[in-house]
Amino acid sequence: MNLKKARKRLHERCAISAVISNVILAGAVITVSFVVLFWAQYRSSAYNEQYSEAMNADIAKLKERLAFEYVFYDKANLTVYLLNCGTIDNVTVQTVYIYFSGNGTLVKVFSSPTLKQFNGAPITDQDLDKGEEGCFVLSPLSLETGVNYSVRVITGRGSTFEYTFIT
Amino acid sequence: MSTHSSLRKDLRKLIANTKGFSSVIGTTFMVLVMLVLATSIFLWTLSQNTEYFQSVKEKNQLEVDRLNEKLSAENVNYTASDDVVSVEVDLKNEGPLSVHLTTLWVLDTTIRKYGFNDTLNINLQPGEKLSIKGTEAIKVVIENADNTHVFSSWFITTRGNAVPLEKEGGLIVAQVSAGIGSIAMDFNRFKYYNVSKVGSSYILNNYPQGSAGYVVIQPASGGIAFQVALTNYDPSKRNITLYSGSVLFTIFPVMPQQPRGSMWYIVNVNANGVISNTYTPVNLTYGIETSVFFASAVELKGSNTFTPALASYSGTAPVNLALIGSLGNDYYGQNIPFVSIYIQG
Repeated sequence: MNLKKARKRLHERCAISAVISNVILAGAVITVSFVVLFWAQYRSSAYNEQYSEAMNADIAKLKERLAFEYVFYDKANLTVYLLNCGTIDNVTVQTVYIYFSGNGTLVKVFSSPTLKQFNGAPITDQDLDKGEEGCFVLSPLSLETGVNYSVRVITGRGSTFEYTFIT
Repeated sequence: MSTHSSLRKDLRKLIANTKGFSSVIGTTFMVLVMLVLATSIFLWTLSQNTEYFQSVKEKNQLEVDRLNEKLSAENVNYTASDDVVSVEVDLKNEGPLSVHLTTLWVLDTTIRKYGFNDTLNINLQPGEKLSIKGTEAIKVVIENADNTHVFSSWFITTRGNAVPLEKEGGLIVAQVSAGIGSIAMDFNRFKYYNVSKVGSSYILNNYPQGSAGYVVIQPASGGIAFQVALTNYDPSKRNITLYSGSVLFTIFPVMPQQPRGSMWYIVNVNANGVISNTYTPVNLTYGIETSVFFASAVELKGSNTFTPALASYSGTAPVNLALIGSLGNDYYGQNIPFVSIYIQG
């Protein structure tokens, strides 16, 4: 009885279009879904990359630390002696601000001063590695005697270090 | 028709119905996509945040270590010679962390010049003391530096701290020396020797050990010599030169109205304990303890040659050290009423 029914159903052609349409629809949905999956993954990995870059930059900034060993002003030259006491290499000096420490008035700005070793020879890679000492000379600079000034160093990664001195 | 058979009929109808099949697949995929993405982003963000907070933690630890670094640098002494400043100092690591010193900066405030020595490699464990003296003194080149100049200095540690060198004892000494004189004596190094003649030379017996100078057992013949350790604490750090007239003399209270004295003039003694027949002025360099000998019965000047001296009396006697010489380019004299001695024999 059942065999007869099955044979009859096989030879029936009434619902064939419905099956095909369902298969096509399902296939289209699956394809679109995969496309959406890959697109979303691509977008999320791009976001991850951006986030990662921002995070790594912040981490690198956190690891930077410059110590001012000595700041000496004489005859229109201001010599700043630095030590990289942080835990990251390649610390560059991007900008240096000199201002009155009393009222914060800006005196002068210097960009990318030349980094030198303590013996006066230029540092070849122009950065300070871990534990490395270096200095730069800011000139010409006219400062009043016996006044408190501050020197603010901005590194290539954006960290800020400040030191106050008396001329 | 029963309720049970009605439900079965509805279920069979639902299964047989192919409408909405793709919606089910789509929804399933969408949920999967959302789950996969959300989970991966969440886990990745979590790992990034962990890394960031780890860095913050390390940074804080570094700051704490830097703040906990506690090094004392005291009893500093500067000696300038030929544009080189020698810095002697006592170091003590009083913090819980080891300290590494990289650079010493010295500023000559008199002429506003500075120098540094960045070849230091000094490590101090917690509680460790280190005395940098004599030949181990740290050398810093400063053009035209002089002993009379005023210096200030500081160490730089690897953690970026600056440690100032302090003259804790020096200030007190300077104040005292301004009040009572520039020469001080070390009471623990006051000695005496018996003087014997060997061939044509006079020598100090048992040199350089000698005996404590407070109780002197006088020999029957020969002579006695006294050794005192003197240090120049002139606040201006000038050199002191002692002339031949410098003498160590005692007063014996033999009778109330008639005190008697004995004296020993300044002499030169070589490394073997041999007393020179003539006298070459002794220099006292600032801050450096120098042994000075008194042994001659006569002042060694002109044609006078060394003559051994004994105490003419015995018993207790106060001792005076009468020093004559120059301080820098000026004449200088100082009398140090310092010890008492007891002469036996």
